[in-house]
Amino acid sequence: MAEAKKIGYGDLSGRVGVEEIRARGVDVDKLIRKLIANAAAEFSSTYYYYTILRMHLAGYEDYKEICEDARLEDRAHWELIVPRIYELGGELPNDLPTFHNQAGCAPAKLPDPPTAVNILTLLLESERCAIRSWGEICDLTVGKDPRTYDMAARILNEEIEHEAWFIELLAHERDGKSIPSGHFRRGEPGEAPYSKNRRFYNP
Amino acid sequence: MWRVELVLPEGRAELAVGEDQFLWQAAGRAGIALPSRCRIGWCLSCAARLLAPGEVDQGAARRYFAEDRAAGFILPCTARPRSDLIVLTHQAEAMRQHRLGLGLPASLG
Repeated sequence: MAEAKKIGYGDLSGRVGVEEIRARGVDVDKLIRKLIANAAAEFSSTYYYYTILRMHLAGYEDYKEICEDARLEDRAHWELIVPRIYELGGELPNDLPTFHNQAGCAPAKLPDPPTAVNILTLLLESERCAIRSWGEICDLTVGKDPRTYDMAARILNEEIEHEAWFIELLAHERDGKSIPSGHFRRGEPGEAPYSKNRRFYNP
Repeated sequence: MWRVELVLPEGRAELAVGEDQFLWQAAGRAGIALPSRCRIGWCLSCAARLLAPGEVDQGAARRYFAEDRAAGFILPCTARPRSDLIVLTHQAEAMRQHRLGLGLPASLG
């Protein structure tokens, strides 16, 4: 481990919390860049567009509820990521279109035609992009930056669950097959048990 | 089938790729794991550059600009060959800088 840059007594020009992870080998600038891309993906590529997808699942109330959970949990992820970006010395662009364009995953735009199968396929592939994105953050930080790693692992846990939900629903809707997620229900819509540190549904 | 030569960090590999196949898919089938994240031509993770004149169809990409084509950048996850190709892989950062330098949208991921 390289020696961390010295931060003097009362010195506000640097952060020990940043210099320590840099000394452990984290490329902090790259990490900030990737966190902004992931924040943009959670907020604009999924939370915003999942809202529209959810509206078009009328008549599929069970699918709508699951989409709602994923939508709200992605918003929870956004809320979790932003403070870490600023702690590390980064900041969000002061312009929403710029932020949208920096996303690490494509916008989950309403498919044409907006059938349940097409919407579920889009939801599934969006979750898969998120899993790959958070896996990258885990790889960048494991053993070096426990705070970011813990956050990324919590989000990754939920993205993996979202993928399992949409596999289950798409298998049923498109293929007439049963591929259970194996999960119990969320206690409330968008409960986010990992990223909000809630207890699991276990009455 | 078109002949596609991949120039990878670990060496060179040659593939035969059909007109309806994406380069990234064809590489995967040959046991070559190219980088990727979104797999729909948005995030630049798979970005590559043509080392010799060649043609690809990028019609399946969510975001691809004429300026990318002019500079020889391609997105293998959504690129279908239309000629023989020599492709330098792992160019995500170079393509990101190319886009940002021209004021074009680019994923930061």
